Parts: sequence; C-alpha cells; structure tokens
Amino acid sequence: MGAAERLDSDELVVNRNEVEIRIENLGVSFPDKDGGEPVIALQNINLDIMQGEFISLLGPSGCGKTTLLRTVAELQQPTSGKITVRGQSPREIRLKKKYGIVFQNPVLLDWRTVRRNVCMPMEMMGIPKKDRTARVTKMLELVGLMEFGKKYPHELSGGMQQRVGIARALAVKPEILLMDEPFSALDEFTKEKLHEDLLRIWKKTNKTILFVTHNIQEAVFLSDRVVVLSPHPGRVSAVVDITLGRPRDLSIKSSPEFNAMVTKVRNSFESL
Amino acid sequence: MNKVKKALSSSKIVTFVWVLGMIGVWELGAATIARSKRTPENVLPHLYQILESIFSHKLVNSTQTALQIVLSNAGITLLRAGIGFLIGIMIGYLLALFMSLFTAVEKMFFPYLMIIQMIPILGMAPIILAITKDIDNSRIVIAAILTFYPVATNTLAGFKSVEKEKHELMYSIAATKFQIYTKLLIPSSIPYFFTGLKISAPMAITASILVDTLQGGGGLGCMLSQSLKHAMTIYVFWQIVFVSALIGILSYFLMTVIEKVLSPYKRATKVKKR
Repeated sequence: MGAAERLDSDELVVNRNEVEIRIENLGVSFPDKDGGEPVIALQNINLDIMQGEFISLLGPSGCGKTTLLRTVAELQQPTSGKITVRGQSPREIRLKKKYGIVFQNPVLLDWRTVRRNVCMPMEMMGIPKKDRTARVTKMLELVGLMEFGKKYPHELSGGMQQRVGIARALAVKPEILLMDEPFSALDEFTKEKLHEDLLRIWKKTNKTILFVTHNIQEAVFLSDRVVVLSPHPGRVSAVVDITLGRPRDLSIKSSPEFNAMVTKVRNSFESL
Repeated sequence: MNKVKKALSSSKIVTFVWVLGMIGVWELGAATIARSKRTPENVLPHLYQILESIFSHKLVNSTQTALQIVLSNAGITLLRAGIGFLIGIMIGYLLALFMSLFTAVEKMFFPYLMIIQMIPILGMAPIILAITKDIDNSRIVIAAILTFYPVATNTLAGFKSVEKEKHELMYSIAATKFQIYTKLLIPSSIPYFFTGLKISAPMAITASILVDTLQGGGGLGCMLSQSLKHAMTIYVFWQIVFVSALIGILSYFLMTVIEKVLSPYKRATKVKKR
C-alpha cells in the first residue's frame, strides 16, 4: 500500500476473534550500571491482545508496564521471547507506522502550530499536502480541537495538548494506539472528559488500544480487559475481564457493578 | 514605600536612573579634569563638547567633518565585521552539524576550539596578517574566528538539549536521520543558535575595530588611533567611542529582532516546565 492510498482506504477491518498483538515468553532486563546483576524489568510475559480490543496494563511503578508498551513500540529491545503484531515484528510495524504512540507528556513541537504538529508524521511518509490537510482537519474534528488548529502548543491547556498528541498518533491510520499514562498529569475533570472522548474515538476508529496506567478506576472504566502486573520482577499476576456493558459513560462510575469490578481488580493486587 | 519599591523595580526607571547616574559621574569627572589639566578634552571632555563636535560643520581634514569621517569609517568597519560575521556563522554552524553528526569529529575538534578562542586577538592578528598578506582580509578572518566559536558551541548545545522523548517520538514514526535534523534538531536549536549570534555579533565588531588599529586602510580603529596620535581632532576619538558602543548594542538588538521574526512561537514558555 503506497503512502498516498493509505489515507484513502477504509477504516481497518477488525475481527475481534483474531489476535492483534501476541506476546510470547517476553523478558526484558536492563544491564546494571555498576556492573552488577542485570535488573529484570519483565519476566516470562505471555499475552494475546485481540483486534479492536481496549486493554490496560495496570500496576504500581516499577512493575514494567511502560517497558512492555515500549517493547511493542520497539523503543526497547526484548532480552528473550518475542512480540508479533499480525505476524510482523515490532520493527516492521514501526517502519510501516502501524502504531501511533501517545506519551505521558504531550511531546509537541513548540514551533509548530497544532495543525502542523498533527501533520508531522504524515510529512515523514511523503503524503501529498492536499491529503495531509484534509486528514488533519478530520483528526482535529475527531478530538474536538477544530478551532485550535492555528494555535501554538503553549497556548493550550494540558488536556488540549494531550488531545493534539492523540490526533497526531491517529493521523497515519495506525492499527494500534499505544498510550503510556497519557492522562496521569491532568486534573480529574479534564481526565474524565478525555476518558469519554477516548472511548468515542476508539469506537469510531476500531483501533486496538494498549493503555498503560496506575489508576485502577481509569483502567476499569476504559478497558475490555485489565492486565495486572506486579513488580520485582515484572510479571503478569492477573488478567481481569471487565464485564461492564458498552457504551459506557461517567454515570456507570457510581454503579455497584463498576465498584464490584474495581474491587475485583484491587483484590487481584492484594492477593499478590 | 511600596510604591517607591515598585517604581524602582520597573526596568524603564532602572535604565533611566542608570543613564542619569552615568551622565552625572561623567560630568563630575569632566569638571574635575577641566580644572587640573591643560588639555582636558584629551582626558575627559564635557558631554556637550562631544555633542557640539558632532553637529559642527568644521572640516577636520581636507574634505570631511568629524562626523562624516566617523560615519564613513564606521561603514567600512561594519562591512568587514559583517562579512566576517557571516563567514563565521556558516563555519560555526557547519562545525556544530558535523560535531553533532559524528561523535569522532566532536572529540577531535571541541577541546581545541576553545584554545583558538583563548588566544588574544592582538596576538592572533599578526599571524593572520602574515598568512593572508592583506590587512582587509585579515580583519574579516579575525571577525570570523571570533564569531564561529560561540555559534558552534551554542548550536551544538541546542542539538544536544532536545529531550529524549522527542527523539523517541521521531523514532516511533520512523523518521530518517535527515528528517530528524530538519524537523526536530535544527528548529529546536534556533534559540541556542541566536544566543550564539547575540554573543558574537558585538564581538565581531570589537575585533574588527581592534584589528583596524594595527595598520592603515580606513575603519573606525584606524581613525581612532590617528585621532589619539593627534593626527586629527581628538573629538573624532570621542565620537568613535560612542558610535562603536552604539553599533555593538544595535548589533545585539538586530539579532533579537531577527530571532523574533523567525520564531513566531513565544520563547518564554519553552523554559516553563510542566
């Protein structure tokens, strides 16, 4: 598929019974700086993430949840085991831009307007300007920033900056959206609004979303499944199916079912 | 009391007080010297005397008034400093690029760049003159030498200051090395590059004036030494003192203005941490 046609094609075909990301016996360790024993960040991780699934990696700091996400993004090399995305290696999907990534900080370029920030990944692919402009407009509409295209990042609030980050990640029509604690720096009100919007965007675009968080409520509200990780060494200690119906809105947060799920996830920590 | 404090801390007032204070000290000195010396204008004339010489129509050589001499020679000096400055910017920028692209180049050159910077201009000038065999060219070369170092080091610092996260973003969208430079590193380093220019612009001018004093061929420094040797009125010297200070300051502000025009986003917020 050429660069130009990519944006024309229809949204992704998703079969929720097929595996999107397969993680097999994955281990990641970092060499110790003082030459001692290497630090084991992840050990023996096995996980299948289905197409179109919203999955959260949940755990305390040091459990390797971010490392796991970074390994999928090929920002980190595995020490053992492997990751395949529809049969392809993380390197292949990175080079083909099949994932979009949203970091904890928005990581916007200060000298570019909102529009040109969203546009940047498409510039890298050599997509013609006309198609880029149309796509940027569509993306800004999706994240609700239509009026802010000409603004510079410093003129936006933290929540808006993170919306720009999401628009940028989605601009090249990736199959997968990787999100590394994207809302952890935001206040509660902004966060809740973004949760709802993220679910709407997810539904509309059929992405597979891998979402890293240390917030139990956030994980339960958003996800189809919550992968609970525990530290030293980082490993999967439980996978909890979130059986809440969809679509979800903020009102379910006060429902007994929601609280039951949160308790269930919390208990899976306490039993560690 | 608070009002006074507030008024004093406003930058315009502070500048005003400074200027007033400096004029006061100058005039006090001039008045003291006028009483004790036979030719006080050689040591410290009154400010009004300098002003008078600026507006005087009296020819100080066969064709020009003092102001005409100063301004025409200021043009010569500025031209040389300007050419040297531009050459220095180019060399400095290319050097920063190479040092950033190849660590080996950085290791090889960086420590020695500082040494070049430590040689006093007046020590370097005769050597450069011997090499170029032309006083005009050596003035340009020296302005370039003084320019390239701040530009190279600041730009390199700019390349290195880019956050790891931004590099990871570029990696995640499979940017080529060329794209990383054109879309990330070069735009990020612009404020640093301009810091280099702001340091080196007045330096290039100072160097050019200093090297002027070594030999003839016009230029502010040349006239300055002639005036000091009483080959022409001493007021040419005093005018040059003010004109060169003005040019130096203006060169700095010119860089600030160019930077503002080139970067529409506000710099102040760059420093702010989330």
